[in-house]
Amino acid sequence: MTTATLTGRRWLNPAYMYLAPSLLIIAVFIAEPILRSGWMSLHDWTVGEETHEWVGLGNYLELFADERFRNALTVTGVYTLVTVAGQVVAGLALAMWLRRTTWLSSLLRSAFFFPTVASFAVVGVVWKFLLDPQVGLVNAWLEKAGTTGPGWLTDTGLALVTVMGVGIWKGVGFSMIVLLAALQGVPDQLIEAAKLDGAGRWHQFRAVILPELRPALLFTTVIATVTSLQLFDLVYVMTGGGPLFHTESIVAYLYQRGFVEFRLGYASAIAWVLFVMILIVSMIQLRIARSHDGG
Amino acid sequence: MRSSLKIGTALVAGLLLAAGCGSPATSSDPDAVVELSLWTGFTGPDRPAYENLVKQFNASHPKIKVTMDVQPWDAIAQKLPGAWATGQGPDLATPNFDPGVLFNYVKTNSLLPLDEAVGAGDGKLNADTFPAAVNTAFTIDGKLYAAPANMATLVLYYNKAMFAEAGLQEPKTADEFAAAAKQLTKTEGDKVTQYGISLADHATIQMWPILQWMNGGDIVDAKGCATIAQPASVQALTTWADLVVKDKVSPIGQTGADADTLFSAKKAAMEINGPWAAAGFKEAGIDLGIAAVPVGAGGPVTLASTVPLAVGKSTKHKAQALEFLSWWTGKTAQAAFSDASGFPPVRTDVTSSNPVVAPFAAGLPHARLYLPGLPTSPKIDADVYVPLIGKITRGEPVEAAAQAAADAINQITGCTA
Repeated sequence: MTTATLTGRRWLNPAYMYLAPSLLIIAVFIAEPILRSGWMSLHDWTVGEETHEWVGLGNYLELFADERFRNALTVTGVYTLVTVAGQVVAGLALAMWLRRTTWLSSLLRSAFFFPTVASFAVVGVVWKFLLDPQVGLVNAWLEKAGTTGPGWLTDTGLALVTVMGVGIWKGVGFSMIVLLAALQGVPDQLIEAAKLDGAGRWHQFRAVILPELRPALLFTTVIATVTSLQLFDLVYVMTGGGPLFHTESIVAYLYQRGFVEFRLGYASAIAWVLFVMILIVSMIQLRIARSHDGG
Repeated sequence: MRSSLKIGTALVAGLLLAAGCGSPATSSDPDAVVELSLWTGFTGPDRPAYENLVKQFNASHPKIKVTMDVQPWDAIAQKLPGAWATGQGPDLATPNFDPGVLFNYVKTNSLLPLDEAVGAGDGKLNADTFPAAVNTAFTIDGKLYAAPANMATLVLYYNKAMFAEAGLQEPKTADEFAAAAKQLTKTEGDKVTQYGISLADHATIQMWPILQWMNGGDIVDAKGCATIAQPASVQALTTWADLVVKDKVSPIGQTGADADTLFSAKKAAMEINGPWAAAGFKEAGIDLGIAAVPVGAGGPVTLASTVPLAVGKSTKHKAQALEFLSWWTGKTAQAAFSDASGFPPVRTDVTSSNPVVAPFAAGLPHARLYLPGLPTSPKIDADVYVPLIGKITRGEPVEAAAQAAADAINQITGCTA
């Protein structure tokens, strides 16, 4: 048996054959575009132009001096910190509250989970309409209650807060469901034993339930972080990045440069910086979780 | 190795087949009807007038069938650039209501120059009958890239009932205008119950430039050098920013659609807008007054708006697309369109018999385009002008903001003067 036929056989291994379609799809639709965007980020690349000037790291250098990019970094950072924390904490609180299955808790679980099913764009359109300062329902209610509602999305100090609120509202159901499932898996005898040892409700939660929930908490945190860092739809629909760039996230800025001004090289550079950021943040989160597991 | 290559090739071929990537058979039958697709953003009350025009064209041209797909402007702005730049998309489209966007499409090599169709007589594109401002806006590097889908000027709409209640007359001068805006604003404690005017500052056909022009100010000159920080301009911006910030004559941060909603809901007494808005305002039950933009130190002025109608570079039906443009801007079509829509005709040699057209046509001789003929106009609008109005209506000192805007404009246009 020659090595050639051996390799041939190995390649013909049914496992590879079964994998091939998926691998091909990943290669064509994910790997190739990612690599190509890396290549584009090293050029002054405009769609439709016949030649693209090689600029090396020029786009990246321009990016680090770009005030609007720094603003987008801050906006995205603040949004991510607040929504991830809000989403996970509120999700945990809801999960604890709705732990026992009754008809009321089932109803409420569905209600809280519902926004997760809708897309960000739909959620954004609905909230924008509700929060309209002149014809929106929210300010009309506030008016009936005797106060004047603020410009939720037009006030520079308030717009990001509003978007974050909607982001939490949209994501909390997901965290809640994941944590609820994990809560069902906490063995009753552990809680029973803690009770016998004289642990109060807080101690039961702190010393028994929370450690059992760690994998689920990690999962929701990582997913929420990655989603938040890619914030786009909500901002695009609700504020268009305004007022005065106060809600312009990294991806919203990428869209402006790449798909409004057609500077695809520069936009690709932004995408790569974001990619590296997400990679680092996810790695840190996983590392923290692992070190806890070891201890 | 070789067998793996074969398998790979077979798989790719299979996938491509499955995805239906084969090119469709093209018919060369001379009697076949040529289908042209057209994307436009005419979602407003003026939509039926455009649809009728397309219907008339199809009826009189049995070998061409134009299908108009009407979508919101921002949907077109999302889809068309990518579609045209990659050789797909419709044969014809109105890329934006702002002609400045044409420069972006020229940059991506997406537009067909129309010069070969330009000439005199029927069947040709009579570009010399278009208002000069239109040709300036649609010509880039000496080539004409679009025909006007429509032509409009902005007027001052006002709510007659609110004016009567306040005992006010239609404002004729810039001073009367500012005074009316102030007087028509009503407050209860902190809350504004009625705004004097509904001003939009983004996602709209700009109205703030008119306020500057009225006073003799401007944004940028023909060479691309900023004029926005000059005294006449700063004075106008200061007056109106003060009216918005201190007297709360208008809500801040409105889009064009927000501004229309406010006026339609009878929560504002005045709005500067174009002919497309009239039908909607009347439908909302407003006793509608239509006046020319008030006259200030800068003389009579208003903003001209013209929607470019362009041909995609990769169209397979160039001749038919050009024929459509020539017909659309021809005498017969324009007379019919103007009568039906209330828009002034896009030709200077056609007069409409529709009395509604008069106030808009009256504005034409002194109507100006926003940032005309500047390749960088979309960037100036998005990165400088819109943020500037946003800042000064939120209380930032006007003079410093205008100076910063002027520097930013000069940097974008490369003006060194």
